[in-house]
Amino acid sequence: MKEIIRYGFILMMVAVVAATGLSAVYNVAKPRIDEQKRLQFEAALATALPGSETGIMEPVQRGDTVLYYRCYVDSLKTELLGYAFRTGYYGYSSEVESIVGIDSSGTILGLKILSQAETPGLGTKIQEIRYGEKDPYFLRQFIGQPAATVSLDKDGGKITAITGATISSRAVTRSILQGYEQMQENLQAER
Amino acid sequence: MELRVLLIIAVSAIFLNNFVFSRVLGICPYIGVSGQMDSAIGMGMAVTFVLTLASIVAWLVYTFFLAPTTANLFYHLFALEKPPDLTFLNTIVFILVIATLVQFVEMVIQKTSPSLYKSLGIYLPLITTNCAVLGVALLNVAAGYRFIESIVHGFTAGIGFTIALVLMAGIREKLELKDIPQSMRGTPIAFIMAGLIALAFLGFSGLKLM
Amino acid sequence: MSLLKEFSKGIYTQNPVFKQALGLCPLLAVSSTVSNGIGMGIAATFVLVCSNSIISLLRKVVPKKIRIPVYIVIIATFVTITDLTMAGFAPDLYARLGIFVPLIVVNCMILGRAEAFSGKNKLLPSIVDGLGMGLGFTLALFIISAIREILGNGTFFGIPLFGASYEPVLVMILPAGAFMTIGFLLGLFNWLENRKQNKKSAV
Repeated sequence: MKEIIRYGFILMMVAVVAATGLSAVYNVAKPRIDEQKRLQFEAALATALPGSETGIMEPVQRGDTVLYYRCYVDSLKTELLGYAFRTGYYGYSSEVESIVGIDSSGTILGLKILSQAETPGLGTKIQEIRYGEKDPYFLRQFIGQPAATVSLDKDGGKITAITGATISSRAVTRSILQGYEQMQENLQAER
Repeated sequence: MELRVLLIIAVSAIFLNNFVFSRVLGICPYIGVSGQMDSAIGMGMAVTFVLTLASIVAWLVYTFFLAPTTANLFYHLFALEKPPDLTFLNTIVFILVIATLVQFVEMVIQKTSPSLYKSLGIYLPLITTNCAVLGVALLNVAAGYRFIESIVHGFTAGIGFTIALVLMAGIREKLELKDIPQSMRGTPIAFIMAGLIALAFLGFSGLKLM
Repeated sequence: MSLLKEFSKGIYTQNPVFKQALGLCPLLAVSSTVSNGIGMGIAATFVLVCSNSIISLLRKVVPKKIRIPVYIVIIATFVTITDLTMAGFAPDLYARLGIFVPLIVVNCMILGRAEAFSGKNKLLPSIVDGLGMGLGFTLALFIISAIREILGNGTFFGIPLFGASYEPVLVMILPAGAFMTIGFLLGLFNWLENRKQNKKSAV
């Protein structure tokens, strides 16, 4: 019995020391981690809405959920740069989530895939960056297209699908259509 | 609707995201005990049992002690201003709870049912360091599963693991009699077979579940 | 020089992966590109060296009966430190390695070293042992991920090797390719070992 108490005590001491040490590390690392997350999201927003780094970004919320972001060219808030919204559609083996930027007429300004778990080497090509290039070649095609009607060449549109990964490619176009529709509804509701 | 969600979790844990062939978890015991059918079935049952149990316990510990929600007991106990975020302790707490639990279950089975202990008991200590067990706890948290969903995910992941083990054991028993180059015998050929089965399982990933 | 021996045994004669078949899960799961593989190798080496030294320091204080839980707590602590540091300083790598960072806890190589070496040896040999084993593990990850990335993606560290006409062997970057690569490598090491022994017996 005495032994069990002694063992319990030693284990407890080890656990307490470990937990104390960890919370110290956590307190140091936490701000840094939050900062990284913020930076990543900001970088995604900047890809979706080029020029937004110097502009004013306003989240439009309903309750606690952000519906979309509205971005002005400068702090005067007279000239609208565009909108950005998050959207997603189920692809081949995962939800393909992205953030899309459009101008007030509905033309796509940019987009960035936030998360996906498609087949490596096929579906993942939707965000592949060729060596020496700066942006994914598949997503580049979307810039300048109307968000309301964007579709793959196989579906009568202008986006060339990735060979062997039509479903993943289609998930991107469908998600934009869906997100844009939602965006229009939200704008309508505000009026 | 609820049932549909559970069914999706089940099918995906067994086929699409099979722990062995797709998530690559629990490989050491997988290669270690897939030599014979008997031990494969025993190990499969033990893993399924522990995965289910680990899902339950990890969910309880996470929800009531670690997660930054109002369900957190520390929040009520110490009347804190806002729920504390202790999720950075996930790994250490999960592994401790699981290790203790497995030890405890082993003792209970030994005392109450010697026959069950004979078939399952010897595999239990091996399971503590099986990454599938910690993996299922962490995956449940990452996916934000609720209580029932966690249990279903844990149980079906175990079923998927068992299927993987049994398939492999069947093949390896046959391989014993085949003429394989000396240096490829045993573990190396087992890995090649696992690769081929994984390739076959890839066919499931096109299943439309949504 | 016995320290040199402790260091070098982890690299070939007792390589944790090829000779002892330990730590296979992270090895198979994150070795699809060289940068992932090396990142995982460094993380595991860090945890191994730290846990080895603490366990070695505590080896006379910790009662034999509860050594395993104590080892697990120590290892889990360093894994969490690694986890937090990676999330803060290497977010991209952290996102790619996913749950395999916390899963370093159950990497049997680390608990194995605690049980087989650092629980019985002095501080300096334990650190050296950790470094050697960690390096051996990293080396194994490097070899496997290099094979998989070169064949499966036609690149090495993200740099294309063969030009646009190369059609990558897709299967290599899928889990199936990981299983086969390690299978053939283990076979190769067995073959080398057998040949060595045959030569010896012939002499």
